Amino acid sequence: MKETDRGKLNLDRQSFLGKNSASILDRTRVAIVGLGGGGSHIAQQLGHLGVGEFVLIDPDVVEDTNLNRLVGAKQVDVTGHASKASVAARTIVGVNSRALVWVETKRWQECAVALRSCDAIFGCVDSLGEREQLETAARRYLTPYIDIGMDVHQMSGEFFIGGQVALSMPEGPCLRCMGIIDDRALGLEAQQYGAAGGRPQVVWPNGLLASLAVGFFVQLVSPWHKGLNLPLLLEFDGNSQTVSPSSKLRYLEGRTCPHFAGLSSLGDPFLDIAARSPGRLAQAG
Amino acid sequence: MRIMFKLTKRLLEKVHARLEQSHPFAFERVGFLLCRSGRLDDGGVVILAHDLHDVADEDYLDDPGVGAMMGPNAIRKALQTSYNRQASMFHVHMHLHRGRPHFSGIDETESAKFVPDFWNVQPYLPHGAIVLSEDSACGKSWIPGLQAPVEISQFSVVGIPMRGI
Repeated sequence: MKETDRGKLNLDRQSFLGKNSASILDRTRVAIVGLGGGGSHIAQQLGHLGVGEFVLIDPDVVEDTNLNRLVGAKQVDVTGHASKASVAARTIVGVNSRALVWVETKRWQECAVALRSCDAIFGCVDSLGEREQLETAARRYLTPYIDIGMDVHQMSGEFFIGGQVALSMPEGPCLRCMGIIDDRALGLEAQQYGAAGGRPQVVWPNGLLASLAVGFFVQLVSPWHKGLNLPLLLEFDGNSQTVSPSSKLRYLEGRTCPHFAGLSSLGDPFLDIAARSPGRLAQAG
Repeated sequence: MRIMFKLTKRLLEKVHARLEQSHPFAFERVGFLLCRSGRLDDGGVVILAHDLHDVADEDYLDDPGVGAMMGPNAIRKALQTSYNRQASMFHVHMHLHRGRPHFSGIDETESAKFVPDFWNVQPYLPHGAIVLSEDSACGKSWIPGLQAPVEISQFSVVGIPMRGI
């Protein structure tokens, strides 16, 4: 290794992503909101891909019940009360020491300004309400939002694993258009608030959905084929182990999203441009 | 100060298509981008383009000394739109070449004359001027509280694929 290459990620094996893919990825800033079962996989993969800048947001610390699926977490992180975001930062920097990583251990709503300069936002949050808020924050700043969701349902004594990955592009169909979020589901969720307990989660569906989300991201920033027609919603049936483009997509073709239309859906509605700027995020040490 | 400018691929295509249309007598077309904005965490500003405010054919002045000269009606309508819709306004025109464009001397002097007028109707918002080429862009923004315009440092086209121009 040449002295000048020390610490530089060698991306020769992914050069098919495009002549300038390494520099594009290096200049790209992504936010991952939620660094649990799904987000930890995404952070790890984006680290390997050579993404240069990360904003990692999660208020939670690692608990022993997370170790069944939190990629990169160790027993010592449980005893040391390490934050999930710092575990993801460690994983990324361990692969690509040149990556710039900002860690926030607040709720994302308390540091949402950090999302504004991101090229893409990954949403790996549990509740529908949070996902809708996060998508709204992304749309306000014309930022692509990639959402993953996984669930285990019990019916007639049997368990069913399902999930989806959605790409919400400005002006394109949103999570409401895709039927992932609706008022009824939000209402039900609100009624059950605080009573949900520990939801069943396992490592492999999270890993699979995270991989699909990263595939969306790469097609977005450095597509390896000009003719790729990106399906905006992929559905995962964990029992039949299949992933397929959602049948809802055919009804959404050519339609403009009515939920985020209009000038007022953009930017900061309370903008005072002469006011003092918000504080800069602290970089992971 | 870092200024980011973002617009969707669909809007950029719409703007290109309109600006490339010939005018009855002017050599080029101009328009305004209606925008909103927000602060970045480093104190910079992100400008978010929403739509094109067209300048009607009859609102150009017949001035063979320049590519296009807006008449008082063009400015008045743009000011009215900014006021009604609480929009930042970014003047836009196009230089027909590839690669990074630059403001001509006339672009510099004319934009310095009319862009600050938008503070008469939206004093708290940034306004500006943009020059597009066939595949790139440059621009300046007038930020409330700052004397001189600030160069736009980054243009992002949001679509599949994403790209900087």
